[in-house]
Amino acid sequence: MPELKLLLKHKARTLDEYRRIGGYAAFQKALAMDRQAVIDEIKKSGLRGRGGAGFPTWIKWNGIPKQKTKRHYVLCNADEGEPGTFKDKELMESTPHQVIEGMMIAGWATQADVGYIYIRAEFMDCARAVKSAIDEAYAEGLLGKNIQGTGWDFDLHVHLGAGSYECGEESAMMSSLMGERGMPRLKAPHAPLPTIAGLWDSPTLINNVETFACAPHIIQNGGDWYAAMGASTKNSRGTKIFSVSGHVNKPGNYEIEFGTKLSDLLELAGGIKGGALKACIPGGSSVPILNAESVAKAVIGYEEIGEVGSMVGSGGCIFFNEHTCIVALMWRTAKFYMRESCGKCTPCREGTDWLFQIHDRIIKGGGRPEDINLLKQICAQIDGRSFCGLGDAAAWPIVAALKVFPHEYEYFIQHGKSIVDTPQSKLMFPYAEPVPV
Amino acid sequence: MASLAQEPGLVTITIDGTELQVPKGELVVESVKRLGREIPIFCYHPRMKPVGMCRMCLVEVGMKQPDGTVRMMPKPQAGCTLPASDNLVVITDSESVIADRRGVLEFLLINHPLDCPICDRGGECPLQNNTLFYGPSTTRYVEVKRHLPKAFPLSRHVTLDLERCIQCGRCVRFTEEISGDAQLAFLFRGAAMTPRTFELTDLDSKFSGNVIEICPVGALTSSDYRFRARPWDLETRPSTCLECANGCSVWFDHRGGKMVRINGRVNDAVNEEWTCDKGKFGHGYLNAPDRPAKPLIRKEDVLAAADWSTAYQQIVAHFEDGRTAVAGLVGAKVSNEDLFQFKRMFHRHFHSPNLDHRWTRILPSQTEGVRGLHGIDEVHTRIAEWESVNAALVVGNDLASDQPMVYLRLRKAWQRHGAKVVVISERPTYADHFASAVIRCEEGKLFEAVARLSAAVLQNREGADALRAALKPFAPDAKDRAAAEALKGEFFTVCSESVYAKPDGGKTVSALANLAVGTDNAQRFNLYPVGANDMGAALLGVHPGGQGMNTREILEGCIQGRIKSLWLLECDPFALWHDHQQVQDALENVEFLVVQTSAPNQAMQYASVVLPCCAHVEADGTYTNIERRVQKIEAIWRPKGDAKPSWKLFTELMLRMNPSRPIFEPSELMEMIIAEDESFAPAAYHNLEGNGACLPLGVDAGAQLFMEIYQ
Repeated sequence: MPELKLLLKHKARTLDEYRRIGGYAAFQKALAMDRQAVIDEIKKSGLRGRGGAGFPTWIKWNGIPKQKTKRHYVLCNADEGEPGTFKDKELMESTPHQVIEGMMIAGWATQADVGYIYIRAEFMDCARAVKSAIDEAYAEGLLGKNIQGTGWDFDLHVHLGAGSYECGEESAMMSSLMGERGMPRLKAPHAPLPTIAGLWDSPTLINNVETFACAPHIIQNGGDWYAAMGASTKNSRGTKIFSVSGHVNKPGNYEIEFGTKLSDLLELAGGIKGGALKACIPGGSSVPILNAESVAKAVIGYEEIGEVGSMVGSGGCIFFNEHTCIVALMWRTAKFYMRESCGKCTPCREGTDWLFQIHDRIIKGGGRPEDINLLKQICAQIDGRSFCGLGDAAAWPIVAALKVFPHEYEYFIQHGKSIVDTPQSKLMFPYAEPVPV
Repeated sequence: MASLAQEPGLVTITIDGTELQVPKGELVVESVKRLGREIPIFCYHPRMKPVGMCRMCLVEVGMKQPDGTVRMMPKPQAGCTLPASDNLVVITDSESVIADRRGVLEFLLINHPLDCPICDRGGECPLQNNTLFYGPSTTRYVEVKRHLPKAFPLSRHVTLDLERCIQCGRCVRFTEEISGDAQLAFLFRGAAMTPRTFELTDLDSKFSGNVIEICPVGALTSSDYRFRARPWDLETRPSTCLECANGCSVWFDHRGGKMVRINGRVNDAVNEEWTCDKGKFGHGYLNAPDRPAKPLIRKEDVLAAADWSTAYQQIVAHFEDGRTAVAGLVGAKVSNEDLFQFKRMFHRHFHSPNLDHRWTRILPSQTEGVRGLHGIDEVHTRIAEWESVNAALVVGNDLASDQPMVYLRLRKAWQRHGAKVVVISERPTYADHFASAVIRCEEGKLFEAVARLSAAVLQNREGADALRAALKPFAPDAKDRAAAEALKGEFFTVCSESVYAKPDGGKTVSALANLAVGTDNAQRFNLYPVGANDMGAALLGVHPGGQGMNTREILEGCIQGRIKSLWLLECDPFALWHDHQQVQDALENVEFLVVQTSAPNQAMQYASVVLPCCAHVEADGTYTNIERRVQKIEAIWRPKGDAKPSWKLFTELMLRMNPSRPIFEPSELMEMIIAEDESFAPAAYHNLEGNGACLPLGVDAGAQLFMEIYQ
């Protein structure tokens, strides 16, 4: 199947350019609609959160109290930190107004007063693009007081993160935005949902950049039009941007309709380079890894990709060729999660550190046969036991690697070196020579 | 199982198959205690907001469905953050829960140094205990353990062993939530996360010692106690802190006749479980090597050890029937019984009214002060009541120093329900950070500041026209008016007697009383004493009354020769009186000076006779705190050398002067106190078990204004 471009169809950095492609028409349409009607349209579209969890978007929108007693907030999660994912970067840089319009529609539907776009600090170009788009929108009276004579006030601010992966977790993002240490907060059933008590204990709607960017299209063309895309899947509607990287000929963002095959996505990205396909991480570094056989079978859809044992996640799709050492790949992954664990809860803080140390010892040639079981048990002690999803995200890839490529671990432990013994594979190793322990 | 009938506000939950009703929203970790079970914890502390960090309390959770089946949640949940709701099902003893606990403990232990044999916490360590009951018996960790600084000083009192830290965040949360100084924070992230002070700052909180006690491992240690003892070698006895007048309950740990450490003891009426640093680290004088152990008598300019009989003989010769030529001055750490007997001895045998326990610059007489001028009691509010006040006016010195527990309760009131607090002080105070208005006045201008605020408060109210008129000369500025907004309705006033140390202290107190009376808040006015048993001394009448001399007059009398013999009971005038030269002149000039003390002091060098007496931990006695709670302290040690309880010493002297039935027990003295003053009736010894007994507060005899101060 070819690409189906919706969000990535145009590049329109300025307001003029965006207006030329029909920008803000959806917002005008939404302003004329009843607030509940906007939410119902989102419900009809079947849109699910694009940040990774795939939670139905309308439930969040509908969860904001209709009777307003406090300020309402809209928070856009633009802390795109999942390794392999770079879709929000392109969305914000190429069409920042699309994201802003989506937030404005959400703000209108939820009676919000203020919106924040929390952008990771490394995305300086995004921040500049979004900031200048916001300035333009203010100048045109699209933001600010009494927008378009409706009596509705809405302000939008850009907030830069400070370099923490954890702050992409929605409750940690709220902590960070409120000036606290970027650590996750209690969630239901331990505390009210953010839609009831989020930022400063006020109702807060939090969505991913891509989710917000979908909203104008849904409002403009109707929920039914959107839901028609991806109709071949169980419960995944519309389009999804995949950031394809790794050993492919044309890495980049590709927007496809749900129901496309994973192998088609690989074709779109110019096919595998430098050797045969060995593995794929379809949705960002935290989702389980797939082997070539599963890639051939996999259909992209929230439930469909689950059937081969992985997840859509945030859409950071990484393909690996035959020269990839899975143990070294997991060493790198484990190192990332060790360094990004915020330290709040025991399983993640200590477990990610331990997982990395074992991998480090194995690739230095000091692996022990019992390490495989130990890794599995440590992962089980983290998965579902940590405070937030970061712990789970650290455990899943390793659990999957041990399941899908157990022989690679066994070989490495037994021989003190990788099963993949090609000149290209050497590049993966952090240490020039396996170091005896 | 049949469902229990539901009471309003209660929900029915099931814990390990047992159905029970608990208040809606109660945390599961607390509900489990109702069944006599426990969920192991580290980061959870009942007096702080739950955070669910350590994951030690993971339990399996489900919801009972209408058809009777139970739908379990896919992941285990933290019991310390989970509020009870109807139909909640909790499993605390399944295989999976046991495995989770073992997992969390394994994680906590992999980088823990396991130096338990030399760790201060060893033997009383929650990590040790939980490991014993729920942890793995061997380790699977073969990597190199994390190495971090072992003795990382956070302050004069607190030393951090970073390797032992399990990052539970209790200490960080304490400084954020309870003491409010937010001096500790987590630095770095992941496995490198450590609690620290910020760069170039110290943990100089007035409440820093508490973090040592709430630390669930031996990471935060007392710099004084570090490596000095093992907990099982200590003898731990309940006691009460006498470093200020709050009377906090403490555990007194001693070993080999030395005080080793002080820990907070739970007393929900007074200190909850906290201590201030003054109390926790302030008992060092008990260990002083040169505490007097024998009576000393001056012979040719040298104090030489003597026997009691000689000392008594000399004292009787100088004091008996001394009338106005003898006087006594008293310190703060003297029990009710000692004070009562001292007063009796002065009144009955020395026939002298010259007694005082106050050391402030201003010494209001019976007809002055709050009672004399305004007809209201000094104290109306109990300590625990402060956490439910809605508005408060805090005046004078730092509340956190003078009344640490009132400060903690007031901060709690602000944190829990946004109590409005107005601070008037000359210098920065701890309460500034949560006060809705701070009025910072120049040194010596406290009275004017109170008067201006009074004028602003009265502008918002009806009535009190006479007071409003009297306040005309004091024009409030914008800041006063803003502060007055917080005091529109009922408000509580708190000021400490330390304000009497200021030249305008008397006028300040009177202006505060006027404001309280004028706004119908007299029932919420408080002028708390500062010294440990100042309240007891005031109630027992250890003051000049109508005829006697007060502290200043006594010192002047010594210089002028009108006072021939002076008795100093547990007080060092050099440390207490503002004019050192006057003290020196007085002690040099007085003919006969008795220094009765439990610790060496500067006045001893002028003494004719030194009498060694027991410190509070060496004799039974009762003490009255700021809320008139009479608490009994029991003897923990044997007295040093020949030292005697003060009441016994006075009794023996009185027997010499007038043989009568002797007194053997301090409880007999309390009976005599009650016979003399009915308000002490609740304090009969049989009522004093536990947290003591409270005497009546707020004995008001018609509130009135006193306008002359404004002229």
